[in-house]
Amino acid sequence: MRRILLTGLCALLSCGARAAELDGKQLFHEKCGMCHGAVGMGTGLLARRMKPDVAPLEMREDLSAPFVERAARIGIINMPPITRADVSDAQLASIAQYLAKGKPSK
Amino acid sequence: MRRPIATTRRANLDAPYAPPSAATLDRALKAMTAVVGAAAAFATEEDRDAYSDRFPIDPHRHRPFAAVAPSSAQQVQALVRIAASHRVPIWTVSRGKNLGYGTAAPVVAGSIILDLSRMQKIEVDIPNATVLLEPGVGFFDLYDYLQTRNIPLWLSVPGNSWGSVIGNALDRGLGYTPYGEHTRNICGMEVVLPDGDLVRTGMGAMANAPTWQLHKYGYGPAWDQLFVQSNFGIVTKAGMWLMPQPEVVRGFDVEMDRMEDLGPLIDTIGPLRREGVLAQSPTIGNWFRAANILTTRKQWTDKSGSLSDDVISAIRKQFGLGWWGVSLRIYGRETVVQANMDILEKALNAIKPMSMKPFSWHPGEPFSPTQGGWMGVPMTFPMQSANWFGGRGGHIGFSPVLTQSGKLAMEQFNRTYARYKEFGMDYQASFAFGERHMLNVNAVLLNLDDPEFMKRVDPFLRTLIADARQHGYGEYRAHIDYMDTVADCYDYNNHALRRLNERVKNALDPAGILAPGRSGIWPAGHRKGSRV
Repeated sequence: MRRILLTGLCALLSCGARAAELDGKQLFHEKCGMCHGAVGMGTGLLARRMKPDVAPLEMREDLSAPFVERAARIGIINMPPITRADVSDAQLASIAQYLAKGKPSK
Repeated sequence: MRRPIATTRRANLDAPYAPPSAATLDRALKAMTAVVGAAAAFATEEDRDAYSDRFPIDPHRHRPFAAVAPSSAQQVQALVRIAASHRVPIWTVSRGKNLGYGTAAPVVAGSIILDLSRMQKIEVDIPNATVLLEPGVGFFDLYDYLQTRNIPLWLSVPGNSWGSVIGNALDRGLGYTPYGEHTRNICGMEVVLPDGDLVRTGMGAMANAPTWQLHKYGYGPAWDQLFVQSNFGIVTKAGMWLMPQPEVVRGFDVEMDRMEDLGPLIDTIGPLRREGVLAQSPTIGNWFRAANILTTRKQWTDKSGSLSDDVISAIRKQFGLGWWGVSLRIYGRETVVQANMDILEKALNAIKPMSMKPFSWHPGEPFSPTQGGWMGVPMTFPMQSANWFGGRGGHIGFSPVLTQSGKLAMEQFNRTYARYKEFGMDYQASFAFGERHMLNVNAVLLNLDDPEFMKRVDPFLRTLIADARQHGYGEYRAHIDYMDTVADCYDYNNHALRRLNERVKNALDPAGILAPGRSGIWPAGHRKGSRV
């Protein structure tokens, strides 16, 4: 049990360290942009539940990194879960950090 | 120590299939993890959910045991050898986004998924307009690769382009350009066989042949289609032909007002397609195929059962939709395109469309993102149909292969539409032209939040399959729950095709580990126990 906990902790630490080195914005466009870009399914469906101008995730200011990570891993309503082979834990952490800032650079 | 394959073979063919024990699965996963590394082996409850079917009739029926993600053909070879020595079923996915057909989930629950997402090499041959791809390359990845390098080559994309270019071609997916029959674009493969051997097909069978992606057949039997919709091998690379960017694209977006206009529309398009005036794969869709992306059911009615004619009229009016619509496109040199446009316009005018909007585009000009499908631009917005009922949804396809006859298609439409009404479903259909055949792709939209509704889906689909079979129509592709039922329809000479498939299966995969049940093909030991 203790070994599992330690392994988990190491994974978290190395994950965080690697996430900081990755480019969250670039990864967001590469891994999420197909649905959460201008005309994607995610943006289209979110526009039904909130003001359309904040339907693209990059325009949101209310996202927390843990929320983004959970939503991606377990899926939300019509969004399928994102596997760890598709987006690694470190990549997802980086994307979540980027979205949690809520302010796209223009 | 791994047992020699030859020993495994004799033991396995005699023994009836029994699911591997938890200890065996653990041992196999541990050995596989040693191959791919701990960071590429996934076996938490959350991982198992992530690899389950997202558009399911029963989400628990096809839950895998774990997933491993190899990064090379050599790792795939090692993984199949481990699976064979432990006799553990594996299920391969390219990117695992086959929504509507099982997503990443295996036919046999408890399988280990081989997820090829991490294999992402792209090698484009610009002068020859070909690409050699690994299965993890998605449509968006390839599109971005070509665009950022200003390479004037197009891909053809399906309505949901989230998935793998190779994976889609291996399930005979469809697009909307002249390259719309994706399996026809395949030219040469690299395949790991179930015993771990590595083979290249076509000209690739010659070491260093410069023609692997140019000539589809090589010498002697051509094997590419053996590995399409099958469980005979794992494709680790495939060549695909790309479309040279045309000088111009023109065409018409056509709306037809009445239900009975389907027949004349098909009889107008069919000859032009066979003759080659139209080289694309035109897809006629009903009004609902367009509308369920744009709106939700609750905005129009709170009544269950199929939508009434009044509601249909109101929705059609709101969005300016005919009962049927089709986007016809002609690609190529300006003068040739214009000559063909004149022929097309005359033919269409003769059947009096409700509306006929011209389309024209030259390279460099902007176009609406919703036109992207006809220009090979990947998209996901059509998947908004999953939200038709307002909550969790999805779709399962029913797609019989028809002739290009307007009369016979009308008969099939009338039968199918009556069944949709009988079972209280909202009718979504398209009729997608091949060169000689037509695929009648019907989507059954799911309401995953309504258990009573979901109970009707399975008997409904089985009824549709049985109706079609009576008239000699079999499906071109199937969801994992219906692979056996669809394979059953192919029954000439007491299922001679199944016998052939199973003889090949048992010869190539004596341990019976690769995707048991894929396309209704089962290894010997499974024969009695596993079939639905």
